[in-house]
Amino acid sequence: MKTIEWGILIVNYLFLGGLSAGIFFVSALATYLQEDGQPAYPRIARYGAMMAPWPVALGSFLLIFDLGNWYRFYKLFLHFRWESPMSIGSWLLLVFTGITFAAFYAWLPEEARHRLFAWLPKRLAFLKRFDLDLSSWRRPLAMLGFPFSIGVGIYTGVLLGAVQSRPFWNTNLVAQMFLFSALSTGTAALILALSINRKSLDFKQIRFLYTLDICFITLEFFIVLPYLIHGELSVRAVQEALKLILGGPYTVAFWLFFMGMGLLLPLFVELWEMKPVLLARATMHHNKVLAAGAAFLVLTGGYLLRYIFVYAGQMSSFR
Amino acid sequence: MADKGKKKRYALVLDSKKCMNCKACVVACKAENGVPVGKFRNWIDEEKRGSYPRLLMTFDPGQCMQCENPSCVRVCPTGASWQRPDGIVLINYSECIGCRYCMIACPYDARYFREDLGVVDKCTFCVQRVDRGQLPACVETCPSKVRVFGDLDDPNGELQDLLSTRRYLVKKPETGNGPQLYYLL
Amino acid sequence: MERTLMDRRTFVQVTASGAAAAALASQLGCLKHFEKGKGGTEARELVVPTTCEVCPNKCSVLAVVDDGVIHKLNPNPESPRSRGMLCARGNAAVKQVYDPDRLKQPLIRAGARGEGKWRPVSWEEAWDYTAKKLSEIKSKYGPQGTVWSSTEGFQEVFFKNCGLAFGSPNIVRHPTLCLASVNLAYSATFGTVPAFDLVNADYVIMSGANRFEAIIIPDTMDLIGSVMLKKAKLVYLDPRFTVTASKADTWFPIRPGTDMAFILGMLNVIVGQGIYDKDFVAGYTTGFDKLQEHVQKYTPDWAEKETGIPAKEIIRVAHEFAAAAPRACYYSGRRSSWYQNDFQMRRAQAILNAVVGNWDREGGMVPNASIPMGEYLFMPWDDPTASRVDEIDKTFPLAAKGDGAYLKLRENVLSGQPYPVKGWMVYKQDPMNALPEQAKTLKMIDQMDFVAVIDFQMSDTAWYADVILPESHYLERTDPMEMMPGIWPAIVYRQQVVKPVYNTKPNLEIIQGLAKRLQISDYFDYTIDDWVKAQAKDIPVQNAFDYLQKHGVVVTPGFPKYGKTLKGDYRFITKSGKVELSSDRLQESGYDPLPVYKPPTEPQAGQFRMILGRRAYYTHANNTNNPWLHEFDPQNHLWVNPEPAQRMGIRTGDLLEVSSRAGTVRIKAHVTDEIRPDCVFMLHGFGKHSRWQKLAYDNGACDAQVLETSWDQVSGNAAFHETFVTIRKV
Repeated sequence: MKTIEWGILIVNYLFLGGLSAGIFFVSALATYLQEDGQPAYPRIARYGAMMAPWPVALGSFLLIFDLGNWYRFYKLFLHFRWESPMSIGSWLLLVFTGITFAAFYAWLPEEARHRLFAWLPKRLAFLKRFDLDLSSWRRPLAMLGFPFSIGVGIYTGVLLGAVQSRPFWNTNLVAQMFLFSALSTGTAALILALSINRKSLDFKQIRFLYTLDICFITLEFFIVLPYLIHGELSVRAVQEALKLILGGPYTVAFWLFFMGMGLLLPLFVELWEMKPVLLARATMHHNKVLAAGAAFLVLTGGYLLRYIFVYAGQMSSFR
Repeated sequence: MADKGKKKRYALVLDSKKCMNCKACVVACKAENGVPVGKFRNWIDEEKRGSYPRLLMTFDPGQCMQCENPSCVRVCPTGASWQRPDGIVLINYSECIGCRYCMIACPYDARYFREDLGVVDKCTFCVQRVDRGQLPACVETCPSKVRVFGDLDDPNGELQDLLSTRRYLVKKPETGNGPQLYYLL
Repeated sequence: MERTLMDRRTFVQVTASGAAAAALASQLGCLKHFEKGKGGTEARELVVPTTCEVCPNKCSVLAVVDDGVIHKLNPNPESPRSRGMLCARGNAAVKQVYDPDRLKQPLIRAGARGEGKWRPVSWEEAWDYTAKKLSEIKSKYGPQGTVWSSTEGFQEVFFKNCGLAFGSPNIVRHPTLCLASVNLAYSATFGTVPAFDLVNADYVIMSGANRFEAIIIPDTMDLIGSVMLKKAKLVYLDPRFTVTASKADTWFPIRPGTDMAFILGMLNVIVGQGIYDKDFVAGYTTGFDKLQEHVQKYTPDWAEKETGIPAKEIIRVAHEFAAAAPRACYYSGRRSSWYQNDFQMRRAQAILNAVVGNWDREGGMVPNASIPMGEYLFMPWDDPTASRVDEIDKTFPLAAKGDGAYLKLRENVLSGQPYPVKGWMVYKQDPMNALPEQAKTLKMIDQMDFVAVIDFQMSDTAWYADVILPESHYLERTDPMEMMPGIWPAIVYRQQVVKPVYNTKPNLEIIQGLAKRLQISDYFDYTIDDWVKAQAKDIPVQNAFDYLQKHGVVVTPGFPKYGKTLKGDYRFITKSGKVELSSDRLQESGYDPLPVYKPPTEPQAGQFRMILGRRAYYTHANNTNNPWLHEFDPQNHLWVNPEPAQRMGIRTGDLLEVSSRAGTVRIKAHVTDEIRPDCVFMLHGFGKHSRWQKLAYDNGACDAQVLETSWDQVSGNAAFHETFVTIRKV
């Protein structure tokens, strides 16, 4: 009996997991890159560290909520099954979420940290000895987090791509596509956060984000294209699966909303913003509204990508 | 089925031409296995072609293929889906967390979600009957005896006889799952 | 089909209720078997052999009872009739027992008829009330003022006897809604109704008897095996592309109502070219010369014009049929009548079978064999003194008198002639759905002073009744044994599998309670045990009663047996003692001695002929409320061929208004190539009035509302294909 089993909760989870992975990756990069012994992009690093844990935490909650027996979710951690992408992913997710929270803690401003511990009720006062300055852990955590953030980003794609019964998914390109989409949405989330902040923008840092995002979007674009070309040149089941986005029910969503508005339009906006830097080595002109708009479009595009893949994939099958 | 110890490989051979779409197998399964209304462990696919008065109508019973290389077992994160040495793929309900990854991984859409138990369920070849030497409910109840159940590894069994002398096909062999339902041509 | 949270909730609601939960619990129990990775080997259950009652086939069943709850019904392989199968309906019978919608206690109507207001009462009150009402009618109109109608079943005999003992001649049974015309036609020809040896036939022709969707045991299983394993050829005539049509070697979408022309065309070829069985015709038949002359005018070219089947095809089939004989048969089927000349059409089939000499031969037609069985001798009553209200002696002199003529009976009750009938007792029957022209059935109910229904579920007729006496489900009671005659005769026994789940009673006890209050209890002074033990006496196996309790079915060796009637001086039970190709008896009664073709009425412009048919998972109107069956066809639709559909702008799913002289219904369209452009079809059993049939209530349309009253002129059997309808998009 053919049914759509993974619905909007899974779409949200795949998006949020990827988003955290992207945010953390960029934040970690910003932590890792140093100038004169100091992080080169401190605001990106801190913002990223502050933001990264929450989407994945919410996503994991949705994932558990989607289970038929949510209270049995712990069973995921009683087994390690290397053949099951979900098993590997659960472990990755667990470690990654731990790292994001550790990094969050390490990046928490001292004042905020003290205030946090001040809230503790008397009975839990003994916890106050954990009110430690972990700023020295920031770089090690960033370095430790790289593989796990990439892992989580890529795993959301592997989860789908490893299913050989769904020709729409069954190519390793889906993993890369989801990874770059994750990195791009993470970057966009940081652009958005920096853009809506009242503090004036630091051109150097925003340029860094733009550069990254342009790279990620371009990479994503050049994975989506071969995905389509490969599919069209593949066996009939894959060709028929691709009809779902080539004339089928997800055509408009895929081409207009994902490819057009979620990928190419923000790419164009970001390139336009960067034009002075690229062509004249001048300072980039920066428009907060435009930046926020482009970031928003990237996020929407990333969400739609998950949506289209989750639903269309389940509709595809061999005949 | 009585002699234990000997290696077995349970499979079904189906002669779909004899299927009348009477649904006896579907209801027998429902009764035997307590399948909820609206859910099915087995089903009958129809194919219709042509225009009046040149028409074709064929029926194809389907259910879990009890694959040699089951993708559902592979993707299961907790090991709830497992395979017996005799090839029957089963679900350990107390280990199933209800993630439904196996449903998505099954090329035959043979699994369904049981809302009341929060677990995934599917055809078990009626192990509870087979282990007592009975036939699966769908096999037994069929008016035209479309299905033949047996042990592939039995050199003198009916399955070997049919598969040696008749042409057959398996469904979606390209997925590599190694389905163990053999459809006679 | 997206999974929703609502599904989850409704599922829990549905399964949480009462007995359904008990049944579910047992089913969940079996799930536990493979949790530990091994099947349970403990003997958890009790296996009770019994006999299915979901349709008239009487398949042998092994009921598996788990802790007092029926877990599963398995086929009993010992039956030579059901051949180790149990169909969807048979399997779904478990669901009926634990159906929260079924009748659970006696009810007396509290509101207006059909309003659905009921007062649960004790059995004593229900019996008292029924007896009082019947007695009132008896004192006012005589016992003939009541009609007792029923459909076949092992306990029908008690109901029928109660009617007779009460003094009513108006016993009306199902045959005139069923196969009376077939029975009469074969009896008129051979003196008996034979069975068809389909497992051995090489060539089978079938007019509309959709055997692969209307299951008859063992015919369905024998035929599908023979046909699909290429042992037999099947030629199938039907305006609809049924499953049987899809499996046939040749399907002719014949012009409806012209089957007789096809048969006469074949007879013309077979008789004219001398390829009939000369020895059989000479030795066993009478009237061949008349037949020879009679069929001369029915040439294949003529038949082509009538049937739409090419003459060369008719000639081909005739040649193949004659060549395959005696392993060839024109299968009679077991269907309701279609047209007013149905008897004569069946006669033509019988004659065709006779001339190719397939009588009592392997692969042909075989007179039914039987196994001896005892009889319980009860005290006889005086025969009713009044004549039947349907005047069957006058109207249908050749018909089986005891079964009555249902539609004629309804006409006479409505007209009040020859005398008024004011009480209606119904057993195991749903006349509201079974009879055409529902409006008239409703009128018949309306003019009754009293209507009582014995059933296990709230049928549409029960819905309009005054008293409902709930019968126990077949799995909850022990019934009389039954000898099933045939090529493979068998005696079957239905024994109680579980105690009644609700406050219901077997029909015998219902009748006994009533008989006591009608002062006729002397005639019912026995228990079901007395009855079955008396029956078991003459059965030729050791300890027959114990044997049947253990096995559920008795088979004796020596069957099938062919050629018994072809030996020496066998006398056919006809007037001439021979097979009557031309029948003097028919002539004396004012009918054609040989089948004379009369073309069917033509539909007028914009009209379609409404035809009926079956699905393998519904018995009549009985199981559309069974959730395990309902889900296969959750609603009925009107089948319309794409050609008229396009002309009228009708698409699948459009709501249509279907009208005939009998009434109008609304139903959604199903545009399909599987029907002739001049016909429409809808599945029976939907559009119910009874709100206690949740799934079928007001769902789809009821064919009985549209079908017109019409009957076969010789047998009085309802003719179901004589209705023309107009359709309109709404």
